[in-house]
Amino acid sequence: MFQIYLPIAEMPVNILLILGMGASVGFLSGMFGVGGGFLMTPLLIFTGIPPAVAVATQANQTIASSISGVVAHWRRSAVDFKMGTMLLIGGALGSFVGVYIFSVMKALGQIDLVISLSYVIFLGIIGSLMLNESVRALIAQRRGNSASSSNQRHHSWIHGLPFKMRFRRSKLYISAIPPIAIGFFVGILVAVMGVGGGFIMVPAMIYLLRMPTNVVIGTSLFQIIFVTALVTVLHSVENQTVDVVLATLLLLGGVVGAQFGAKVGQKMRGEQLRALLGLLVVGVALQLGLGLVLQPDDLYSLTLEITQ
Amino acid sequence: MTGALFNRTGGAFVLAGLVAFFTNVTARADQLVTDLSKHQISIRSNFTGTEILIFGAIEAADPTNFATERDVIVVVSGPSLPVTVRRKNNVAGLWINTEAVTFERVPTFYAIASTRPLTRVASEETRTVEGLGLDQLSLGSATARGALGSDDNVTAAERQAFTEALIRNKQADGLFRTEPAGVAFLGRSLFRATVGIPATVPNGLYTAKVYLLSDGKVSDVASAPLYVVKSGMERAIYSFAHDKPLLYGLFAVVFATFAGWAATLVFKD
Repeated sequence: MFQIYLPIAEMPVNILLILGMGASVGFLSGMFGVGGGFLMTPLLIFTGIPPAVAVATQANQTIASSISGVVAHWRRSAVDFKMGTMLLIGGALGSFVGVYIFSVMKALGQIDLVISLSYVIFLGIIGSLMLNESVRALIAQRRGNSASSSNQRHHSWIHGLPFKMRFRRSKLYISAIPPIAIGFFVGILVAVMGVGGGFIMVPAMIYLLRMPTNVVIGTSLFQIIFVTALVTVLHSVENQTVDVVLATLLLLGGVVGAQFGAKVGQKMRGEQLRALLGLLVVGVALQLGLGLVLQPDDLYSLTLEITQ
Repeated sequence: MTGALFNRTGGAFVLAGLVAFFTNVTARADQLVTDLSKHQISIRSNFTGTEILIFGAIEAADPTNFATERDVIVVVSGPSLPVTVRRKNNVAGLWINTEAVTFERVPTFYAIASTRPLTRVASEETRTVEGLGLDQLSLGSATARGALGSDDNVTAAERQAFTEALIRNKQADGLFRTEPAGVAFLGRSLFRATVGIPATVPNGLYTAKVYLLSDGKVSDVASAPLYVVKSGMERAIYSFAHDKPLLYGLFAVVFATFAGWAATLVFKD
């Protein structure tokens, strides 16, 4: 009844299931202000969508959600375009490397492992850090202590690097190397994991580059648009794994869910939000980690060798 | 004369058949007349799998002889492609693909239906010669592939294990099917079989083959083509993605950009 056949994934899916997944992940991403790719890609894989299609299609979907997100930040001029461009240069180089790694690992039959391992490692680390930090903040508040923000601008090794540039909107005068390096690293992850990379980009911008919090999200979204666009094109050319029908269903559900999520998110406190998000991220990492550690039902799996 | 129904070439053919009938009455074996309910399966956006009906009649050489035991076997098979089977091993606590064997020719789809279980219909020799049954499939050469893509020979035991795994996985995906009682006789000469086609069926040219066995010996074979093709939107999108991948990728980006921008207008406060 509600089945639709996906032309690239070459399988039928339930429209309501995909719309529902899009809406739920959209709700969470609106609530927490994250892209949600790190939830959607594993969910698609659990649904039976081939991992290669899930990753490439999710990158395509992320373009739409990032654009609808960046418009609001742009209106408040909370986007540092110069910093975004530096991140983007690195991101573009990184996504080429990432798509290449993806193709090689796919040919060697190790792409599922690479995707799962990347999720377990990066989500595990980020999730634990987030959970740890927010629970401490919550405990401190309960005890009545004022949260001690040690966000002083002390000089670190980053300030010793050459090619210094002035980033007016971020009120920074730093070397162009760290933003390019961060962008490069995140670009690889976008191509391999099918995520926007905001969950790594945002902490890196705050803690490594020491950008002011108010421009971080807008700038991260700005560069995610271009990197995910590039990854979409590269995956289309290299692997033919972008399913536009699946992407359309996901973004339909996603934009609606995000609007409701954003309203709920505004009513919650920052520490509570981060603690919940941390739990969610750690949960996804554990789930994927179990898949690697537990013995599978059948040790054998098949891959059709497509000769073109 | 075998499988004459698939070659309706008109009167001359019928005449030739009649001549053959009258000249060879004594030597003639049992014959088949068969057809499919459809010769093309179109995959559209609402495709969730389908069934094809294969039906026909047996023209017995000697209709008064009731002693002959007749069986019908129906085989529907898809195009053959190379398939790599990978085996996981526990490496430092993680289940990782290690060994791999590539089979040169694996049918993308293979369904076999018969009036009785295959082992009772035909001897092993007959089944091997005609390639009847999952255990008799010819899969082409097997090449072992090392973790870094090096090619190697496969031992008999390994080939056996990987072949079994291949069949097991294909069965689990619904792409290899056996129906030991899938062909039903209606009276003494009419028969019908329904073969289920799953939603994940690959595209290509399929063959529907019908075998008639009289007392365990193949007395006639008829075969017909069956096309499985994407059509409509599904075909357009698939061809676009594979024929013009760069343009397709750019289109996907423009579409997503537009959708994201449209969303900000719809939900503008």
